[in-house]
Amino acid sequence: MSERSVRAFRFPRIPAVPLAIGIGILIGGLLVLASGGDPIAAYREILIGALAPQNWPNTLNWAVPLVGMTLVAALPLRGGMVNLGGDGQLVIGGLVAALAALYLPLPGPLLIAASILCAMVASGLYASLAAWGETRFGIPMLISTLLLSYPVIGIASYLVGFPLRDMATGLAQTRMIPDAARLPVISGPLNIGLILMIVVAAAVVFYDRRTVGGYELRMRGLNAKFAGYGGVRLAAQQVRVMFASGAIAGLVGAILVLGSLYRYQDGALLTPGYTWSGLMAALLAGGAPLGAIAAGLFFAGLQTGGFAMQRETAIPRVLTMILQSVIILFLAIRHGVGRKSS
Amino acid sequence: MSTIELEATGIVKRYGPLVANDQIDLSVLRGEVHAVMGENGAGKSTLMSILYGMQTPDAGRIVLRGTEMHYRSALDAIGAGMGMVHQAFKLFNSLTVWENVVYGMEPTRFGFIDRREAAKRVAALAERYSLRVDPNAIVGQLSVGVRQRVEILKALYRDARVLILDEPTAVLTPQERDGLFDIIRNLTADDRTILFVTHKLHEVMAITDRVTVLRDGKVVDRMVTSETSAREIIRAMTGRAVNLTVEKSPGNPGAVVLEARGLTVATDGGKPVVDHVDLSIRAGEIVGIAGVAGNGQTELIEALTGLRIPDGGTVSIHGTDVTALDVERHRDAGLAYIPEDRATTGTALAASAADNLAMGFQRKPPLSNGRLLDGNAVTAHAKRLIEKFGVKIGSEQLAVGTLSGGNLQKVVVARELSHAAPLLIAEQPTRGVDVGAIEFIHGQLVAERDRGSAVLLVSAELTEILALSDRVLVMFDGRILAELPAAEADEETLGLLMAGRVRDAHLDGTEAA
Repeated sequence: MSERSVRAFRFPRIPAVPLAIGIGILIGGLLVLASGGDPIAAYREILIGALAPQNWPNTLNWAVPLVGMTLVAALPLRGGMVNLGGDGQLVIGGLVAALAALYLPLPGPLLIAASILCAMVASGLYASLAAWGETRFGIPMLISTLLLSYPVIGIASYLVGFPLRDMATGLAQTRMIPDAARLPVISGPLNIGLILMIVVAAAVVFYDRRTVGGYELRMRGLNAKFAGYGGVRLAAQQVRVMFASGAIAGLVGAILVLGSLYRYQDGALLTPGYTWSGLMAALLAGGAPLGAIAAGLFFAGLQTGGFAMQRETAIPRVLTMILQSVIILFLAIRHGVGRKSS
Repeated sequence: MSTIELEATGIVKRYGPLVANDQIDLSVLRGEVHAVMGENGAGKSTLMSILYGMQTPDAGRIVLRGTEMHYRSALDAIGAGMGMVHQAFKLFNSLTVWENVVYGMEPTRFGFIDRREAAKRVAALAERYSLRVDPNAIVGQLSVGVRQRVEILKALYRDARVLILDEPTAVLTPQERDGLFDIIRNLTADDRTILFVTHKLHEVMAITDRVTVLRDGKVVDRMVTSETSAREIIRAMTGRAVNLTVEKSPGNPGAVVLEARGLTVATDGGKPVVDHVDLSIRAGEIVGIAGVAGNGQTELIEALTGLRIPDGGTVSIHGTDVTALDVERHRDAGLAYIPEDRATTGTALAASAADNLAMGFQRKPPLSNGRLLDGNAVTAHAKRLIEKFGVKIGSEQLAVGTLSGGNLQKVVVARELSHAAPLLIAEQPTRGVDVGAIEFIHGQLVAERDRGSAVLLVSAELTEILALSDRVLVMFDGRILAELPAAEADEETLGLLMAGRVRDAHLDGTEAA
């Protein structure tokens, strides 16, 4: 026994997040070094690309959809539910916004508002379909949200590839939306989508902290059985929360279409992978809204910095994805180890 | 009997500002039954988890048979000859007894598990200590008492010299309890040492040799059982003399508050777990449901409270048919409910005391206007209940997960009683709770009755049923087997009824179904 009874080696207590980021930077740097690059230059370019004042608009413009999709994942996660259907809900929002902008006979600001509202309601309803499936038929939402994405992505692709295709170009996309339907620009690439997203983020934080619904959702996340026993109507809550989550995804789709792309283009909403980066950010924060927003902003900075680094040095922006992965993995390890020994 | 088997000196364990164990010295002799007693939050569980290697002490030494120990996990402690039977059993219900016992230490033959050898060893071990268990039985089909024997076998198979029994009688019938005491005597006769953690004084008096009493994380007294009395132990535990019996006037039953007719809960294919139960509870009476755990009480209560929609029959509260309604509407109709399991149902362990105490009040003034929570009101509500019910917690903002069983139960009881609802369903309200808290909770239940509330009490604890009930129902195999006025209920009759033996119970003039 005595040789086995050496005191367990303990890491000095460094907060998990800085430690994970540090390790990520170290491993990323070694990778750059190993492939013959200059890690210092790479990181300098990432920092400048993300944080130099002249690049703020770019970073923020990238952050709007990413933080939006972070909230999409974080809201249900706060209640212990997982929405993997962000892609599908994003596509519905984008397509519905584009179609509303093209075909609704409304004047300027009203057209914008109506397009956004249609997009949010459509995506919200589609997301709550998965919640209804679980509460009514016991289909796990973890599966149904993901699977429900594929048909709508396919149908949207068909619609803009054939019946609604813009014949003037060779691509699978709708016509350009009228100028009146485009989101007003703040400066450069930034439009009022930024303000909308700040309002939504603030609303989610407020909901979480101050409202009865937010309290009930938090309690459900900590112990669903307790919430049910305490009188929280779990089924109705699930449908409501998924509607809200989907509606935010719809808003993100609408902001991208009405503010940047000005048309629905097949694949354009999904290629950047906002849904999955957002899900990672939400998971890192365990669904806590403020933490999730911070993590979403961090990823947005990292990704925009990656584009800049790719432009300025020979190092591909995949490096930032590696950083992101290593950070998440190390945080996951810390969480796992922490849980076991406590 | 005079060799020291296990000695702990100067054990300190802190959780944040709370000192759970403060310089605890414990010395246990080989072959004795040593009781560790104390109120909830006195530090018993912490001390046991340190002795069993599940927690590392902040200071102090553990010496087992003369060797100083530094456990890194329970595995080290098991290897050194410690065994523990937890209050909640840790068994694979779908596996057989021998599979559970040898798990992790399987005898092998050519690299495969030697099933015959394993079953044989388990049978031999059971034989040696008169633990009547069929090694080939499936654990899930065994009664709680037999499962406990499997847990003891598991420890003995790993050659545990010191066995920690944590609240071992909480789930047993009186007959099963006596069986356990026989087993304990067999073990000590074989020079094995028992650490017996309990709240039940008569058991300490009956089976233990010495007692160490903890209070507020410190050892306050060490006694030789034969030279002390129950009152002295209580005084050491609580610092005051405690009234062991509940003082109450006869009940004054009024209008029916809860009524169930033909209530049935089915299982997939099998026979119903709750089988056409009729009951009615009146304002101003406490009705006790006695029964060994697992005879349908849990499902009955789930069906009564709206946690489960019954498969047949009706439930009404105050004349409102709530059969198919959700919990919230049961609560609106007048239900307050202390659930069986405070940790998985009654609270959210990771949430603060304030959040836990707010549950059920969050949609009503003064805590909210229906939409927005008033943070100050939530805090004030929590502070008031913590004060009123004497919950030992540093701040209402702390998570309740670190609270001891009795303090956690006080959180649940405080919240449910503060509803002042016309119907209170209390399920195992004092399971694993210390004497002081039992007395307090019992007093609260009687006060609730005297206030005019209808109280339905479900308990596997006969003393509790007998002390509190105005009427007793015995549940067996999903049915109400018998109904007795409190005056005709005694421990032996109820014990036999709980075992389903109606004929042996000599029920004269009472109805037996």
